[in-house]
Amino acid sequence: MTLSTRRPASRLATPVPAENGSNGHRNSVVLGPNDRLVGQLYIEGDLHVSGSVEGNLEATGDIEIAGSGKVNGDVTAYNRLTVGSDASLIAGDVRVARLTVEDGAKFSGKVSMGQPVSKVAEPVAVVPEPVVVVPEPEKPTQKGKRR
Amino acid sequence: MDVQEAVAEGTASAENGEVKRDGRKQFSMGPGDILEGKLIYDGSVHADGKVEGEVRVTGNIDVASGASVKALLEGANVTLKGQVEGMVTARDKLTLGKNARLSGDIQVRRLQIDDGATLNGHVRMGDFEHQASGQ
Repeated sequence: MTLSTRRPASRLATPVPAENGSNGHRNSVVLGPNDRLVGQLYIEGDLHVSGSVEGNLEATGDIEIAGSGKVNGDVTAYNRLTVGSDASLIAGDVRVARLTVEDGAKFSGKVSMGQPVSKVAEPVAVVPEPVVVVPEPEKPTQKGKRR
Repeated sequence: MDVQEAVAEGTASAENGEVKRDGRKQFSMGPGDILEGKLIYDGSVHADGKVEGEVRVTGNIDVASGASVKALLEGANVTLKGQVEGMVTARDKLTLGKNARLSGDIQVRRLQIDDGATLNGHVRMGDFEHQASGQ
């Protein structure tokens, strides 16, 4: 008896909705108050955290640390980062385009704004170089031309 | 009419420099004023125009939206609306208004950053609940 039918292969098949995709909404991931993440997370879309995160977060949209959310790690938001009044962000690096910190929030780290945030984490598709086969010019053989 | 205008101008220029407000001293600069050097002041400072050097006050520091500041700032409550380059220490609260542009390291007890503000630098915050050994 298997504990779960969620195999990694089935997860891979889940399509990631594009920004402003067919459903008209940007992809949004929510970590609730009882949720906990240890590790790294990259989201194409928005991320709402009201749980606890130990690790690095990166989102192509907005990141909001709300409620009693706690994040301990680097944060990169290609658009906006919001840290709520009861939330906490203890970071090494914070790279965002826009930043809102509400009064009462716990916030520390190295903040970089202004420069366009580049998609560093995006995997570069490796395109195999097409091998050009140059056919060697056929040498006229003496044997073939013998009449 | 002319006399009234002259009186109004005189009142306005009297606000530049040291004035009393609610029994506390305030050093108030205008948009055309320039301060270069080190100011240690028992009271509050309203900074406008151009400030270069170091400003340490017992009260609050308030940097106006048109101001250009290249200085070390230290005060109880520090409110920035203009452009500031340099280290900022707020013994209580630092507020970055929506048009503020700050590049420099900051040390604060409380921090509020409004949407639209630009910050580049290290943020250190004291009085953490979970920090056993306070700084």
